[in-house]
Formats: sequence, structure tokens, C-alpha cells
Amino acid sequence: MGIAEQERDGVLLRRAAKGDEDAFALLYRRHQAALYRFALRMTGSAWAAEEIVQDVFMTLMRDPSKYDAERGTVGAFLYGVGRNRVMKHLERLPREVSLEEKNEDGSGAGIVLQDVFTPGMWAEQRERREQVRAAVLELPAEFREAVVLCELEEMSYEEAAQVAGCPIGTIRSRLHRGRALLLAKLEMLRDVPRRASAAR
Amino acid sequence: MNCEEFEAIGLDAERDASVGEAEWAAAREHASTCSRCAALQDSWQVARIQLSALAEDTDLAQAPPRVEMRLRQEFRTRHRTLKVRRAAVIAAWALASAAVLMGAVSWRNWRAGQREEASKLANSQQMAIAAAGNHQSLAPHSTANEDSLVADNEMNDFTLLPGVLPAETDDAAIVRVRMQRSTLGALGLPVNEDRAGEWIQVDLLVGNDGLPQAVRLLQ
Repeated sequence: MGIAEQERDGVLLRRAAKGDEDAFALLYRRHQAALYRFALRMTGSAWAAEEIVQDVFMTLMRDPSKYDAERGTVGAFLYGVGRNRVMKHLERLPREVSLEEKNEDGSGAGIVLQDVFTPGMWAEQRERREQVRAAVLELPAEFREAVVLCELEEMSYEEAAQVAGCPIGTIRSRLHRGRALLLAKLEMLRDVPRRASAAR
Repeated sequence: MNCEEFEAIGLDAERDASVGEAEWAAAREHASTCSRCAALQDSWQVARIQLSALAEDTDLAQAPPRVEMRLRQEFRTRHRTLKVRRAAVIAAWALASAAVLMGAVSWRNWRAGQREEASKLANSQQMAIAAAGNHQSLAPHSTANEDSLVADNEMNDFTLLPGVLPAETDDAAIVRVRMQRSTLGALGLPVNEDRAGEWIQVDLLVGNDGLPQAVRLLQ
């Protein structure tokens, strides 16, 4: 984002604070997609991502003075608020899962991914993608954040460190550990169908 | 470069700005000699391709339009409420200022009225004293000054008793009585003590409340 655009964001925010609805809508349209994608990739739930985006912009609407232009861009501020909401959501998640319906054998139903697949659609490519998605969602929040920011959002280490509010070294080490875990999980997931087909 | 270092920085060396050209070359060299690290790098490359595919899946994802709708609705409600609240505050301040202004003007008028009343009272008292003095000195010797005579004529020769305003005598009745001169002292008029026991005839101007307002000495 260029300096002119950052300044425009600041102007839009000031106008929105004075009650200009169009300025607020414009600000929303400029940043909602990136926020939504980040939340969706972190939570794996479209519903949760929607709630998080709404919550972030409600925060901006309620108290625009929370944004300090000297500390960064409006986009970075929104990302920061969004990140906090995502982390809170992930902290709550285990409790929410435990309240979900149990299967007959007592095992948890687990998190239901948003896309619905019919048996005919289970093409191998799609299956692999689902495995990767599941593996990412199973990573601990901090490692998942590093993987999402650097691998899915394709941010540089510096940008990711700014968003996560930590030093570059921390991002590097989280990414390293997240990557190792991800590879192990993918390996495991890859082996399960192989073992199943071998047993048949 | 050993395997541990390769795992830490070699897998993503091309993206890490802090990794120099020499380290990058060392990582490539290590991968070409170590089969384990080469396999790890291959796995990571595959995983990255899959991650890219996953990212592509959600690259165009956006919050549904209902989020914007809800936010706009909330924005309108919030700012309308704020406007109403601001208008109410302004109106309250305006009313309070008007009340204070009215109070100040009323108080000023009341004070002015009080002052005017006090000055009228003082004037009438001075006039009464002057008139009484005139009667005493004027009746036997006819040496009163011109001002007192003019005042007496205006009042039909009646002398206002102390504490009575001229306006209060408009609807009064005249009663002729015979009294001792000392009784004039009880009405607040100066009396010559040598002649205090002398009987005199006077006209009293009696007000609606039955109290004497003024007195006229008869010859």
C-alpha cells in the first residue's frame, strides 16, 4: 500500500469518525477481504471469520481514536485487532468443540469444515487440499499464524513479524517449528489412506 | 552447513532477506550432499505447492455482503443516536442559559424597584418633616419659606404622617377631630412641649385601612 493510500485511509477514518457512512463503507471494502481471508485461514470457519471481521470493524466504529497513526497504518491496526480476535476465538474453541454433539461411540464429532463434499467430488486433488487444510488447522495457534502469514498470505518475515507483534527471529523460529509439524502431519495423513488400502 | 542449520534456514533461504548469498549457496550444497535434507527439501516443496493451492482456494474469499449491511445499519444507528444526544445537550444548555439570564434580569428589576421604593419613602419622610416644621413656625408668625407653602398647597394643607406614601392618600376620608396637641407626637409629628396640653381641632385623612395618613391643623 502506497503512502498516498495510507493517507487516504487516515482521511477516511477521520471522516467516518465524524459520521460519514460512505467513508466508513469505503474503508471497510478496502480491508475486509484481507482480514476475512486471514481469519478464515486461521479458524477454518467461514462463520467465525465473518464474526471476526464484523467485530474488528465494530471496534473501529465504536472507538476510532484507538488507532494511532504514529504506530502504523490503518491496515496494520485492523490486522492487529483481527489477530487478537482470532486468538480469542481459538482459545475458546476447545470448549466449543466439547459442547458439540458426540458420536454414538462417544468420540467427538470434531470441527466440521465449511465445504460440503459429495462422494463423487472426492477427487484426489481435492482430498490432498483438505488434508493440508486440516493439517494447518491442527497446528498450535502461534505456529499456525506464522504458516498462514508467511505461506498463505505470502508476507515477508518482516511483515509477518509486524502483524504478529513479535521480532523477526520469533517468526522464523515459529515458522520452522510449524513447518516441521505440518510436514509430520501431512506425512501421517498421507500414510493413513495407504495403510487402509494395503489392509484391504 | 549441518542438517540442523539447514532445517532452520535452508528450507526457506530464498525468501528470508536476512540469509546471505553465501549461506544460500551453503544450503544448496548441503542439500546436494545430504540425502535426508534433500528429501526434506523435496517434501517441503511439495507441501508448499499444496499450501499455494490451498491459498488459491481462498484467495478470492470475502466477507459476505450481509456483514457490510449490518455494519452500515449499526453505523447509522450509532451516529443518529449521537446526533440526537448532541442536540439534546445543546438544547439543555440553551434552556439553562435562558433561565439564568431571566433570573438575572428579574433580580436586577427587583433590586431597582426596591431602590426606587426606598428613595420614595425617604422623600416622603423628608417632606412630612419639612411640612410639620412649617406648621409650627408658620401658623403663628407666617414666616414659612416658599417651598413648604407650595408643598402644602399641593397636599390641600394636609401633612403626610411619617411612613405614608403620597399615592396611599388617594381614596382617603377626611375626619375632623378635637385632640390635645401632644397626640400629634403619637402620630410621629414634632410637638412643642410648652403647649402639649392645649386642645386643638384637626382634620385627619383616614385611609381605607382606617389608619390616619395625613393631618391638617385648623386655625
